[in-house]
Amino acid sequence: MAYLSLQQVSVAYQKTNILEQFNLEIQEGELVSLLGPSGCGKTTTLRLIAGFLHAHEGAVTLQDQDYTNVPVNKRNFGFVFQNYALFPHMSVFDNVAFGLRQRKESKSAIKTKVLDMLDLVGLKGFENRFPSELSGGQSQRVAIARALVIEPDLLLFDEPLSNLDANLRVNMRLEIRRIQQELGITAVYVSHDQEECFSISDQVAIMNKGNIEQLSNPADIYHYPKTSFIADFIGFKNFITFDRKEKQTEGTTYYKADTAFVVADHPGSTGREGMMGAIRPEDITFHTRENAAHTNSLSGTIHTVIFLGRSYQYEVRTSLGNFTVNEEMFAPLQPGTEVALTFPPDKWVIVEKTEVTTHAG
Amino acid sequence: MRNIWKYILILPGLAGLLLFMVIPLTGTIASTFWENGRFTVNGYLEYMQDPYFLNILWVTLRTSLITTLVCSILGFPTAYFISKTQPRVKMLLLLLSIFPLLTSPVVRSFSWMVILGESGLLNNLLTFLGIAGPLDLLYTQSAVTIGLIHLFLPLSIITLVGVMDNISEDVTQAAESLGARRSTIFWQILLPLSIPGLLTGSILVFVGSFTAYTTPALLGGRERVISTFLYQNAMTLNDWQLASIVATIMIVVSFTVIGLMNWAADKIAVKGGKLSG
Repeated sequence: MAYLSLQQVSVAYQKTNILEQFNLEIQEGELVSLLGPSGCGKTTTLRLIAGFLHAHEGAVTLQDQDYTNVPVNKRNFGFVFQNYALFPHMSVFDNVAFGLRQRKESKSAIKTKVLDMLDLVGLKGFENRFPSELSGGQSQRVAIARALVIEPDLLLFDEPLSNLDANLRVNMRLEIRRIQQELGITAVYVSHDQEECFSISDQVAIMNKGNIEQLSNPADIYHYPKTSFIADFIGFKNFITFDRKEKQTEGTTYYKADTAFVVADHPGSTGREGMMGAIRPEDITFHTRENAAHTNSLSGTIHTVIFLGRSYQYEVRTSLGNFTVNEEMFAPLQPGTEVALTFPPDKWVIVEKTEVTTHAG
Repeated sequence: MRNIWKYILILPGLAGLLLFMVIPLTGTIASTFWENGRFTVNGYLEYMQDPYFLNILWVTLRTSLITTLVCSILGFPTAYFISKTQPRVKMLLLLLSIFPLLTSPVVRSFSWMVILGESGLLNNLLTFLGIAGPLDLLYTQSAVTIGLIHLFLPLSIITLVGVMDNISEDVTQAAESLGARRSTIFWQILLPLSIPGLLTGSILVFVGSFTAYTTPALLGGRERVISTFLYQNAMTLNDWQLASIVATIMIVVSFTVIGLMNWAADKIAVKGGKLSG
């Protein structure tokens, strides 16, 4: 039985359903991320779990207990806000002690716990500072300490790092992961940053329009996205809807017009029925010499070139539409150059067709 | 060079203040210490021993403090409600709450006379319902207090809405998620964070009601407050010396009370009670 479970939950905001018949199960001790573009319902899901929002249908249970109508202040969940939400008129110590004081713990117990927790988040000696005297990173550490010190049954993060600068973000996510594992706490983490989610989570749930399109470990999602929406979201820029396919002894050959593409069997995507193939820009290889007659190959003309830093991004026009290709090169090829594109069989992923924003083929 | 221009910009305002406030005020205050070419504090001593004047001072102080308190208590929940509404509704509610400020105090006081008079709306209603006979409401300090509350409540509300708009909902939700009950959230989060607005509002309301003239003059009947007493001295008795002394006492009392309010606000909102950051 799952530790936390949402069963057939529907949440509406101003008469529009944001979540409809939504299900989610989280095991004890796991850190699960909800990842998706803005408006996908990830924050709604988190606020529902926290109790700030209520479901008009369905049930929320934690350790088999019904939490659907338990008020926020009786839940014992820690919540870390995007903008820290520290109490500006209280010292760091009082901020962290706030939850313990609501629990009527003794003064000496509060003092020990608060100081231990500040030590854990690396803020020893900061107890008498005020929030206005802290940097963004320090503020978020206080917010985390404040949520952790009550020994919550569940720890909820609402885009906790999005107000921090890039370097600090990387450090803080390592810290969050370390603390979460050290305390063995179950956590739900919301973000729109895929690298952040992939790096700290046991499981990632990719959300789109109020649904979870895929819930797996980060590597599976990265390599074998289940739907075209997910593939697009995590950087597959090229999609082809094939006409027909033929099962081979090893892999499957898919056809689009007269061109054949061999797609290798992946352990992570066996049994997928769809006819849509997706491939990342950096996985397509590039030849200037004309040899496009082969399987898995297509000739085309470079249309545009963009410098990305590590590589150049080319927009290549072919008979099957435009393809986006990233190549590491010292000097870029000029628009108008004839090229041959090669699509390695093990880089293709067959995906289920859902809403995609960019489309080729 | 650019800095100089910045200072030049404040010159007109500064000149206006100097010409129309600092100079006459200094003159007024100085004149109270001067009698027949000699320095004296006799004027003040006389007042301080005059039970009639002390009573007026006390009544005025009491009325304005009650007004301030009631405005804060009534204004707080109203402002909280307004600050939580959608921007459009908020604009409308704010407009409605400052509406009393847009009508003249004279008109408003007359309206209260109609309501509070011996055969006024309120007394008629009370008699009709058999709750009480005609009450002596008009021309009492209660009438003055009611009129002043009506006059100054908008100031309380506007300043509080300004402050409460800056209290992020996340902060109260954070408290809630940490196990705080509604009462705790009010006393430990909302109230301390609203102190700056409460203070500004209270100062405005207090100074306004302490120096109000029209409302006490129309609704207070023969009962004097300090501003009507001052008017009487200056205009009816033509004793400018005494009027100046009363004015000086008013200034001193106002500043003392404002100082006390500031001190109390500092005590309640512990250090760092700034809203930003």
